[in-house]
Amino acid sequence: MRNLLLLILKYGSTLLFILLEVICFYIIISFNQSQGEIWKHSTNLLTGNINQRVQNTSDYFALEAINDSLLTENAKLLEAIINYRVFSKENEFQTYENLDSTLIEYNFVPARITNKTFNNRNNYITLNKGYQDSIKIGMGVVSSHGIVGIVRSVSKNYCLVMTILHSQSRISGAIKSNDFHGTLVWDELDPQSVTLINLPKHAEVSVGDTVITSGFSTVFPYGIDIGTISDYSIESNEDAFEVDVKLFNDISSTTHAYIIKSNKQDEKIEIELEGSDEL
Amino acid sequence: MNYNWFSILFRFVLLFSLQVLVFKRVNFEYGLLSYAHIYVYPLWIMLLPFKIPKPVLLIAGFVMGMSVDFFYDSHGVHASALVFSAYIRDFILRIVEPDIGYDLDQPFNIRRLGILWYISYTTLFLLLHLFFYFSVEVFSFVYFYEIMLRTITSLLFSSFIVFIFVLIINPKS
Repeated sequence: MRNLLLLILKYGSTLLFILLEVICFYIIISFNQSQGEIWKHSTNLLTGNINQRVQNTSDYFALEAINDSLLTENAKLLEAIINYRVFSKENEFQTYENLDSTLIEYNFVPARITNKTFNNRNNYITLNKGYQDSIKIGMGVVSSHGIVGIVRSVSKNYCLVMTILHSQSRISGAIKSNDFHGTLVWDELDPQSVTLINLPKHAEVSVGDTVITSGFSTVFPYGIDIGTISDYSIESNEDAFEVDVKLFNDISSTTHAYIIKSNKQDEKIEIELEGSDEL
Repeated sequence: MNYNWFSILFRFVLLFSLQVLVFKRVNFEYGLLSYAHIYVYPLWIMLLPFKIPKPVLLIAGFVMGMSVDFFYDSHGVHASALVFSAYIRDFILRIVEPDIGYDLDQPFNIRRLGILWYISYTTLFLLLHLFFYFSVEVFSFVYFYEIMLRTITSLLFSSFIVFIFVLIINPKS
């Protein structure tokens, strides 16, 4: 305190000078238009630059939250599109302006891939959603590029997904242009292609056709992209095509996925079981 | 430290009135001369006694500057320039100090210090004051050429008026 007083005594006039100049400049900037404009412009140049840098840095730290929110947003959009597509497919003679929430059949839960394999004979990925988020065994998993796999086991916070690159994976796929359908299996060689078997002999197949999910199972809704036909062949004694499908979705580079909850799954399984009982 | 307060106050009123009532209306409309303005109010600060405490000098500059600003509608510009000039008055006095030195207890005695001293003191003071003033007025050194032009032309006329002023009223305190 004594030092402060000494300082003021010694440099008092200089401090007063600075104080008066600050007051003057404050008055100049506040009450004179042109100087005020120049001041604002100059400080904007400076603070704008600084703000930009700070924003960039804080953006970087916020990326995870932004990613998550975008993922949720994507899930919502995907949900709307898929449900609309499914609904209009099932009710072709009617047109609907918008979907009622009671009509929504599929819900999408966004998840992050925490672990994955794609070079083994049986490949799995781990997602960071478990039964806490009401994930159940048998739910389908897709990414933004296409199909990923089916949930095989669930823990509290995680679930294990049997990918389409699995020796036991059987997924119903259809050719988009004509709806002929078969079963997708993995030939255990190339992580970027699967084989469509049991495609009827009379189906029209051509290289480049898009293969989508058929929607016959409740696991995947109708119309999710799988891949394009790269090659096809038929043995003379067989009655079905064997079609090579190049996957849209490169599982090795996928980081996020959406788990599909079907609201009508139980009902559908129930009625299908009744049918098989009678047989 | 007895200052002649009446004389100081009188000079304030006189210089201030001359500035805002007369010289404010003077405009030269001939070529480069249109850049010139006459500013005599800094003379008040110049002629304040030697030994006046510096804080008082600064506040005096602020008051005179703000008063002029009210009439010029240039809020704060004259004040900041005059506070600056008041602050550097000591340095200017030291630069132009004559061989015989200042008699610090006495008021400015122009007969003793000489008319040349007076001219160099006022010119240097006005130069720095006007340069600061026009810089703040333009508020950007992008227009350095214009600032210099205004400073030089205004300096010519202002010094002349200040010189005449001291012939009419010989300040004794």
